[in-house]
Amino acid sequence: MEMKELNYLKKLEKVKAPPDFDQRVMAQLSLRKRSEIRARRLRLSFAGAFGALAVLVIVAGLFFLPQKGDLRYSGLEKGFSPEFSGYGQQNYIPITESMEYAGEVRSKAKQPNTIYILEQVSDTTDTRIKY
Amino acid sequence: MDEQELMKKIEEGDEMAFAQIVRLYKSRIVNFLYQLTSNYEKAVELAQETFMRVYFKAKRYRPIAPVSSWIYTIASNLAKTEMKKNQRMKTVSIDDEYSRASSQIYYEDNPEDMETIKNLRKALNSLHSRYRIPVVLKDIEGFSQEEIAEMLNKPIGTIKARISRGRAYLKKEIEKNPEDFDFLSKGEEYGDERA
Repeated sequence: MEMKELNYLKKLEKVKAPPDFDQRVMAQLSLRKRSEIRARRLRLSFAGAFGALAVLVIVAGLFFLPQKGDLRYSGLEKGFSPEFSGYGQQNYIPITESMEYAGEVRSKAKQPNTIYILEQVSDTTDTRIKY
Repeated sequence: MDEQELMKKIEEGDEMAFAQIVRLYKSRIVNFLYQLTSNYEKAVELAQETFMRVYFKAKRYRPIAPVSSWIYTIASNLAKTEMKKNQRMKTVSIDDEYSRASSQIYYEDNPEDMETIKNLRKALNSLHSRYRIPVVLKDIEGFSQEEIAEMLNKPIGTIKARISRGRAYLKKEIEKNPEDFDFLSKGEEYGDERA
């Protein structure tokens, strides 16, 4: 199909830019430039704040939050072996049982050649029996 | 200084070079956008935005295409978005548009027959943006089909088809009311093909 230019579209009125167009464009340019600078600063400060917050969270994580590994021996008292199964971890069942040492010593004392030495090994008496 | 050099300067932030590009293209771009939108105020606003993009997106310009094509591409994209927005919003009568803005229009030449122009513009406005942009670029701005294909980033076959369909549609619209277009009786329908 042959393409011919539509002549009558040339009859449409032609317009030109208003006399103050250049000034308007240049004014808009300086305005946009300023807002671009402001937006860049805002972006930078947001990035800085976010970075600082991230560093703070990491530092808090390193120094202030309790760590799993430290709990293993932290509860140990003098005289207990670290190998003591499960102490310091949460996988033991604490059972408190009252002991009547007087009767026990008395009954054992009837046997000859037996010496019993009772000494305090800790300031705090642990009455718990660990299984 | 040629346009490519001016673009390089703009890329470096040179406002004088930018002002020179604005001076060179302002009326062509305002006129082009006016033909697409039929609203002078809107055309001026979009032309300003076009030049803002020329300045801020100067780094994206590749000297393989002429500067004019690149500026027209930006203007076409803005016009297309505007036309789509207008289609979604309520339809505005062409008479309203004229009465609202005619006092502020700066004409290149004094228009001869306003009634015919108004009818022509009505026909052009009824054309979908898909056809209107290539028809205006070809028949009013005088770009070649290859240049239009490059600008609109479409295959040349598509552009040829769109121009042809757009023209056929316009012809049909105009011939619906031949009494509104006195040039039809004078046989001034087509000119010579340039591209």
